[in-house]
Amino acid sequence: MPIKWVLHWQPNAGASVNTQILTEVSQCVEGINGVKEGRWKSTISFYKPIVRDATNTSLEFARDFLGISLQEHPGKYYFVLRAQRMIVEAESSIQTIMEKLQSYKTRVALNFEGVQYQVGDFQLRVGKVITVQHDSLRGIVMEMEYLPISSWEKSHKIMGEFFDIWQEALSKRSLPGHFVHIEPNFREYGLSDEYSPQHTAAQYTGIMAQLIATAHSAQAAQAAHAVRQ
Amino acid sequence: MECVVQGIIETQHVEALEILLQGLCGVHRERLRIHELCLKSGPNLGLVSSEVRLLCDLEQPEPTWTVRQVGGAMRGAGAEQISVLVRNTVESKISKNALRLFYALGYQLDHEQLRVGFAFHFYRGAQITVTVSSINKMLKLHAIDDAVPVTPGIQLVEVTAPASSENYNEVVAAVSSFCEYLAPLLHLSKPGVSTGVVPTAAAAAASLMSDGGGATL
Repeated sequence: MPIKWVLHWQPNAGASVNTQILTEVSQCVEGINGVKEGRWKSTISFYKPIVRDATNTSLEFARDFLGISLQEHPGKYYFVLRAQRMIVEAESSIQTIMEKLQSYKTRVALNFEGVQYQVGDFQLRVGKVITVQHDSLRGIVMEMEYLPISSWEKSHKIMGEFFDIWQEALSKRSLPGHFVHIEPNFREYGLSDEYSPQHTAAQYTGIMAQLIATAHSAQAAQAAHAVRQ
Repeated sequence: MECVVQGIIETQHVEALEILLQGLCGVHRERLRIHELCLKSGPNLGLVSSEVRLLCDLEQPEPTWTVRQVGGAMRGAGAEQISVLVRNTVESKISKNALRLFYALGYQLDHEQLRVGFAFHFYRGAQITVTVSSINKMLKLHAIDDAVPVTPGIQLVEVTAPASSENYNEVVAAVSSFCEYLAPLLHLSKPGVSTGVVPTAAAAAASLMSDGGGATL
């Protein structure tokens, strides 16, 4: 399958994400001749264990893990256990099995959704990150997919070049932040150079970690601000 | 959801059963070799303890894995009266690191077994699967090559059909009526309700073997 980079929006210090940024990013894709192809949506759920005795802190099981459903693989579901560097692929009915087992439950679910564009051999998906329950904007992501190549290594140069072009196009709009690509260590997850949905799951896992870190630091900043006042 | 009945047959009559099934179903049998691992949740995990089964199909060129959760059986006066068990089941194909996943999630191996035999898949009022297999236990962890039969000389016969809350009555009827054709060789009943081997099996098997499986419906 074609390789892709999953990027996330990193706001400048003190800035936050808002829908205006998303609008400008979308306009920028159209500015580089992006042709709208339709909408896309992926979902990530954050699973936590249900424990019988909360005072028993000996951890004989995973503290948390992610469940991911991807737009381009509708019948599949992916579990990522970050601490164990494990990615499991299953059919989407595994979600029903997890519900019935009642050993883990989803605490937070995030939707990644937006518009898909075609730019030559690239497919770009720009989307907002919202919580399923509250519909509040938590972040902005972008998928950059290069259709002709499925080798991560071989695509690195062209992806890097396209990323630079994109960053340059976007910089003209002087937005309070920029897109970041964090490359996971795929080998740690036992993934090869040939791109697979598991690679996408690993990239989204990195983004989830970033979103959580950003939310925590925003909370900490708010708390500090409140203390100063 | 699925409808299920089980029975047992002496290994010496399995060939006759196969001839009968072949005649009834009109399809060829498929070989069956499944490594089944039963996992249970660890002591502090989940509000109630839970159980999940991992099935590794060893007949495929590259073994494939399925995770299966078997829920409670349908209850009530209506369920008591029918001779077929209707229960909730959910299955999902899963990648080969399934066992590692469930260990990481805090599940522990309760027992494992190897089922070896054959299966028939066909449509007769419902999508029916008949499996005839010997159940083997492993003397050492995961040592499937050295597995030994749990009940030598006896094989398990299982008839299952997928169903839904809308159509299970029809599926139960289809399974029940199919089971009647096997009655001379074995009794099929709800799992856990053992009816043993049938006294007519030897004569029925001899008859089937002599006419070479000419039995048709």
